[in-house]
Amino acid sequence: MECRGVSHWFGAKRVLHDINLKVQRGQFLSLVGPSGCGKSTLLRAVVGTHLPLEGEILLHREGTQREAEPVAGPGRDRGIVYQHYSLFPFLNAQENVAIGLMLDQTSIPFRFFNFLKWRRIRKQHLELAAEFLTKVKLQDAMRLYPHEMSGGMRQRVAIAQALIMKPEIILLDEPFGALDEATREELQTMLLKLYAENLQAKKRGETPAYTLVIVTHELNEAIYVGDRLVGLSQYWDWKSEGQPEFPGATIVYDKPSQVFEPKDSKDFQQFAIQRDEVRHAVFNPDVRQDRSEYVTYWSSAANAS
Amino acid sequence: MIRRPINSSTAVILGILSLAVLLGSYTWMAHRQHLTNPDDTTIPTWTQIKKGVGDAFKPDDWNNESWIASDAKATGARFFLGLAVGVMGAFGIGMLMGCFTPVEAFCYPPLSLLAKIPPTGALGVFFVLVGMDTSMFVTMIAFGILPTLALTIFLAVKEFPEELQFKAYTLGASHSEVVWTVIFRFVLPKLLDAVRLVIGPALVYLIAAEMVVGDVGFGYRIRLQSKLLDMSVVYPYLAILAAFGFTMDFGLRRLRRKLCPWFEKHQG
Repeated sequence: MECRGVSHWFGAKRVLHDINLKVQRGQFLSLVGPSGCGKSTLLRAVVGTHLPLEGEILLHREGTQREAEPVAGPGRDRGIVYQHYSLFPFLNAQENVAIGLMLDQTSIPFRFFNFLKWRRIRKQHLELAAEFLTKVKLQDAMRLYPHEMSGGMRQRVAIAQALIMKPEIILLDEPFGALDEATREELQTMLLKLYAENLQAKKRGETPAYTLVIVTHELNEAIYVGDRLVGLSQYWDWKSEGQPEFPGATIVYDKPSQVFEPKDSKDFQQFAIQRDEVRHAVFNPDVRQDRSEYVTYWSSAANAS
Repeated sequence: MIRRPINSSTAVILGILSLAVLLGSYTWMAHRQHLTNPDDTTIPTWTQIKKGVGDAFKPDDWNNESWIASDAKATGARFFLGLAVGVMGAFGIGMLMGCFTPVEAFCYPPLSLLAKIPPTGALGVFFVLVGMDTSMFVTMIAFGILPTLALTIFLAVKEFPEELQFKAYTLGASHSEVVWTVIFRFVLPKLLDAVRLVIGPALVYLIAAEMVVGDVGFGYRIRLQSKLLDMSVVYPYLAILAAFGFTMDFGLRRLRRKLCPWFEKHQG
């Protein structure tokens, strides 16, 4: 996924300015920023529900010779997990996970006219959904409706619902924002397990299965879960770029972040250096540095290899 | 104590008690009335009511059909046709309004105006426009319930969170799938509840119209017997109407529970 020169504004209010961001397959990217910096606007642009007014978002499809396609609207190649309303209230957990397969692979006329065939396919879908629910440790809650589940369970189902589609990229919009600390940690560990699967796949020489962009306001979570930390902020030195007035928030921080194993203890000491740096560069209104100062992800990646 | 819960057997006993009080006081009133006037028909005794029911079920000399059979056939056909037309029309308009903003802008003002016209008052209009057979009653019921029902369905569609719509698209849904497999299922329980609520008004419109222009039907019979002060037929007829409304309500509630088991608890 690549954002090229993405800008957005609402009337006179400038929100995003010239966002350039490349996400590679297999990355777990955490997006942080002060409130009001346009994280959600950027995410909506990537989902395709609210397209940016300038610039474009491109999807490079792995393993195909096709040209990168610009995003024109929401589609099955980008999954989304919202903080609220993450599940269809009229379907139980298993049906919620299976509905993507149904919507994607079959159509209303097919389900109506080929009823018997559809019933066979449906059975396979439900079996696959059960597998994914087992993956997120919900094998005992398959028949529960969303209102019968706790917040943590709902988010697990929502993640399984996105995973089963095997999209190019999954976007999580403050997914654990409404959860208590213990549940949140559990789910973070679950994401780390997915990342570990990615690493194993890479080791075997396969393309990693999951690409995640996690929008969060919790800095520790961002560092813990992601392997790359991107900061979006309105506090940057736009005057030195010759802008007469504030052009909108942009990316002011982009560095790798420490990779944790699922069983590693979450030692806040390890985060401290990066956390302070991000606080300084992204969240502090008084520090207005050049926007490229902390954007070193690709150069450090090049150095590493 | 305010709002203190009671156990269910007490609730049942109290319910039965209230009905018993109702029937008991009626019996007493009828008894008192017949002490002063033994031939009274305004508050008939149970024996008189039994005879009235017998009359209602007795085949007519005229077309060899009992009152109750011909009335039930006529009223039933009018009611169900009217309800079906009204519900289907309201469902179509409400869904279109909820899904497409231009339709909303186009339909909202006339619907909110039409909703305020008492359909019984517009009886003459339907009479002129569609004539005096079943179709007039059907039009009136449909017209009476459609605006409110359409607005209810429209509001229910509006309540559908846009996140779920976007999510459906990211899961590969087509536009028609978003409407039929997602929004429709979300709205269905509210549709059934809305239909429950319009059964009462629909019956009012129909009975009132039958009283005015009917030559057969529940409203017609009630008016005729009321004019003769023959309450021994009127009361059973009213009881049948009440039972009918209750059954419809109960049936729709059961249907909703069966089709949408998620709904009840989801609300609370």
